[in-house]
Amino acid sequence: MSEAQFESALQSREGPADLSVEIREITGRGMIDLRGLAGERKFMAAVKEVLGLDLPKAPRTSAAWGDIQALWLSTDQWLILFPRAKTGELLSALRKALAGIHSFAVDVSDMRSIIRVEGDDARMVLLKGSTLDLLSPEYAAGTVRRLRFAEIAALLHIVSAGPDVIDVYVFRSYADYAWDWFLANGRAVAALRPFGRQATPTV
Amino acid sequence: MLIVHCPVCGAEGDETDFHYGGEAHIRRPATEDPASVSDAAQRDYLFMRRNPKGLHFERWRCDRGCGKWFHAVRDTLTMDFKGTYGITELPPRALMEAATGEWASFFKDKLAAVQPARKGKSS
Repeated sequence: MSEAQFESALQSREGPADLSVEIREITGRGMIDLRGLAGERKFMAAVKEVLGLDLPKAPRTSAAWGDIQALWLSTDQWLILFPRAKTGELLSALRKALAGIHSFAVDVSDMRSIIRVEGDDARMVLLKGSTLDLLSPEYAAGTVRRLRFAEIAALLHIVSAGPDVIDVYVFRSYADYAWDWFLANGRAVAALRPFGRQATPTV
Repeated sequence: MLIVHCPVCGAEGDETDFHYGGEAHIRRPATEDPASVSDAAQRDYLFMRRNPKGLHFERWRCDRGCGKWFHAVRDTLTMDFKGTYGITELPPRALMEAATGEWASFFKDKLAAVQPARKGKSS
């Protein structure tokens, strides 16, 4: 049997034009779903030994060390991000270190597609699909939030703020839909302006 | 639109980020004594639900957030959330005392069992 090859769910999609934000797919990223008890010292220490970072315990935060990142998903669940080529090596190292500890690590690299949204208007475009107040200071760089986005389940990772770089993780089967959503709602002519004092158009 | 607050991860969002899980504190009779479950008890467990005007105790899930279940107390008249508490816990004493009708009789013996020292601890 031949090895399964990764194929992006978005590879046949046209590059966006006339959008108020830049969108592109992030490929080549490996993902591991890691679950365990944050209160268990043995588990946290074992993970730190392999990944080199302390798993974030505070809700909706992330941590990074070198090319490895850990996103908080739940009180007992994290998404580990790293270059795809390292998947096998990291997974076996994690499993070895976690042997005997109540936990699991699963390769979910092909489970989600990642769409990177960049630009000053990134939050304004994302606001159209969510009920969160993405303009509040709570959503600073490093924030991770799972949410209902454009009627589907998604994960937002604010990579950097001002200029905004936001990664949107959607399940692979929704990637096409999410891409279409950005093409339709990210159009420059449909840009949102927040409420408040608006500039008076000159006549 | 309801604004819900998750007591587990602290996320606040509208009801579409959460999932309603039905009435709280329903016990499956067969769990306690599988050998002798009466038809009436099984019927009540499956179908009979309270429909109060006022405080209602229900289960919610932080569906698109941390994924955990929790309990919430909602006023069915004003749609106002009066509080949330852990999925394995009883409501804070003040909310048990505020319950009316069928819920008041449900919490009556539980209130008696709660030590005064625990007052407000589980809120």
